[in-house]
Amino acid sequence: MDQLGLLLEGFSVALTPMNLLWLLIGAILGTAVGVLPGLGSAMAVALLLPVTFSLDPTGAFIMFASIYFGGLFGDSTSGILLNTPGNSSAIATTFEGHRMAKDGRASKALGTAAIGAFTGGMIATTLVVFFSPYLVKLATLFGPAEYFALAAFAFVAISAVVAESVVRGLIALAIGLSLAMVGIDGPSGAARFTLGMPEFLDGISIIVVTVGLLALGEVLHVASRIHREGPAMSIQASGSPYLSWREFTAAFPAFLRGTGYGLPFGAIPVGGSEVPTFLAYGTEKRLAKRRGDTDFGSRGAIQGVAGPEAAGNATAGTAMGALLALGLPTSATAAMMLAAFQQYGMQPGPLLFERSADLVWPLLASLFVGLVFLLIINLPFAAVWAKLLLVPKHYLYAGVAVFSVFGVYAIASSMKDLWLLLGIGVLGFVMRRFAIPLAPVLIAAILGPLAETELRRALAVSEGDLAILVSSPITASLYSVMAVAIVISAVQHVRHRRANAAAQAPISSSAL
Amino acid sequence: MTTALTHPPVEAKPASWFTGRSELIVSVLVLGLAVFLTVGTVTMAVPEGSGTPGPQFFPTIVAGLLYTLAVLLAVQVIRAPRTIDGDSNVGLSSDLLTDLGDIDTTSEIRVVRSSVHPTTKKRIGATDWRTTGTVFGALVGFTLILQPLGWLLAGAALFWAIARALGSNRPVFDIGVAIIFSSCIQLAFSAGLGLNLPSGILTGVLSWIN
Repeated sequence: MDQLGLLLEGFSVALTPMNLLWLLIGAILGTAVGVLPGLGSAMAVALLLPVTFSLDPTGAFIMFASIYFGGLFGDSTSGILLNTPGNSSAIATTFEGHRMAKDGRASKALGTAAIGAFTGGMIATTLVVFFSPYLVKLATLFGPAEYFALAAFAFVAISAVVAESVVRGLIALAIGLSLAMVGIDGPSGAARFTLGMPEFLDGISIIVVTVGLLALGEVLHVASRIHREGPAMSIQASGSPYLSWREFTAAFPAFLRGTGYGLPFGAIPVGGSEVPTFLAYGTEKRLAKRRGDTDFGSRGAIQGVAGPEAAGNATAGTAMGALLALGLPTSATAAMMLAAFQQYGMQPGPLLFERSADLVWPLLASLFVGLVFLLIINLPFAAVWAKLLLVPKHYLYAGVAVFSVFGVYAIASSMKDLWLLLGIGVLGFVMRRFAIPLAPVLIAAILGPLAETELRRALAVSEGDLAILVSSPITASLYSVMAVAIVISAVQHVRHRRANAAAQAPISSSAL
Repeated sequence: MTTALTHPPVEAKPASWFTGRSELIVSVLVLGLAVFLTVGTVTMAVPEGSGTPGPQFFPTIVAGLLYTLAVLLAVQVIRAPRTIDGDSNVGLSSDLLTDLGDIDTTSEIRVVRSSVHPTTKKRIGATDWRTTGTVFGALVGFTLILQPLGWLLAGAALFWAIARALGSNRPVFDIGVAIIFSSCIQLAFSAGLGLNLPSGILTGVLSWIN
């Protein structure tokens, strides 16, 4: 139980007044960005990255930890009150959450979401603390071929299995890989795709890519439809957010079931929490049917909010573990955390626990403290946060645009980054317009260099023999899981297309 | 990438061949990216002694992938044109989510909103190029004036222009909001946290700038 001692030491750093202040500021800012419609926790980290530039690394990461979870606490609010989820991870919560809001139980739905997010995050973080040494040991077994297999797994999962259209998912993936190749090639020192401009030798910053795709892309997308859309109807949050004992006993198993779905998915790179939140929602729905619960699907059932919300935050917790111990970002938000580490010259992975133990343990400790803070500022004050939804859209998106250009300029005071940001913003807009998924671009841009380096290293060792890529038990099992996932996904698509064709549904074209 | 914005709106001509096929522009862009990668790979100055596989290995694979995808997308779009509907920008597999979430089309509240405006009856899916163009223009303008005018004025101008384009109808009041917003960023980050922001023509006028 070495970890307990280290964790306690971490708490002693995290609980100093200055670090508690950063934690609180991070929690407030993270929740605020999360509540704003269209911005999720990846955006919260990306936009607030410059805020931390003048802090020491420990303070900065403590703040990131609370921004990271804060974004997840906030993003169910606009889903529940407006029926427009702020983030794709909040869609599953929206179904029952908005029903509860329409039934006059908006505060209760927001309170359930906050407790769910807290439970999922707590359990996941505890597991990360106790399992990280084993993850680190596992990571030392990984050679170039294994790392390439992990990256390939992430690429296939995010672009082919999870995406609506395989071709569009792969296009997004290839765009991300292209962005990642710009700059000096690490192993050989060759300048690639820099157009002869020295500014591009350092490559394209992942922060510019994220802010461009997610924030400016969203601003342009909103601009393209704001004058044609009807106003969204907001429901006022009234009543008590606290659960009665009966409600709590009804919701508690759902919290645990949701957490159970979320935990493994944090460690698998399939783009974040959409899959586990939908799994949790589906389970609650089936269970409600079996119980004969008529609230589910009509008045809104508390379990339908509790399950998905716990799943979402459990995913975020284990994603943090995978990032710290393996150096593997499994979602866009984790990718932003990786970028933040790189900004401070640190590389997450097995060595991080040895070299930067004085940073890792305070970070893990502050995840616990941050979750407590977030519960305190979210559970009683959920209705206050909901007031943020009253900010007129034109000010909101003007503010997002100004903060995006500010954040990107503040990274390096570089005009090149600003022009690049505009270009990538337009790319994000075009991709949104044609429903091309954005997540593969981010995953490819962040994992691309790792995939390329490890692939070349593996092939250099084997002198070009491709068999090395599948020769170890770890790689063989990763590729088999990948193959099974592809087969299941193909069967699923065929089955749905048949069902659509049989029903002669007018939406059959959307199945493509 | 700007070609996509200056491109005349194809929706103007009713039911032309391009209706539902405007995505061909994506095919063209993907093809363009593939050509760019090919040219860059062929003309790359490879330092001596770089091992095999060298720096051209991975770009070759990605370029090949892009060529294939450009063709596949074009074939898909030509064979089955699709109109852009409401809020389908999630990009996740609806088949997958439907199975996982046990979703049926009748009982779940549609998160995707109607594709027709409730009062004006205009199609929402059709892009409002004027507003989008104005916002993009404001961003380009900001980038051009940032260095000469300084953050405070450029940031305020950007805020004002975007708020106006997105439908604010109180231009004078907005000037105040915009200046307060950009001053707050300047105060908090430049004076407070010591980040470097260009001060432009206001250098030395106010002590807390720069």
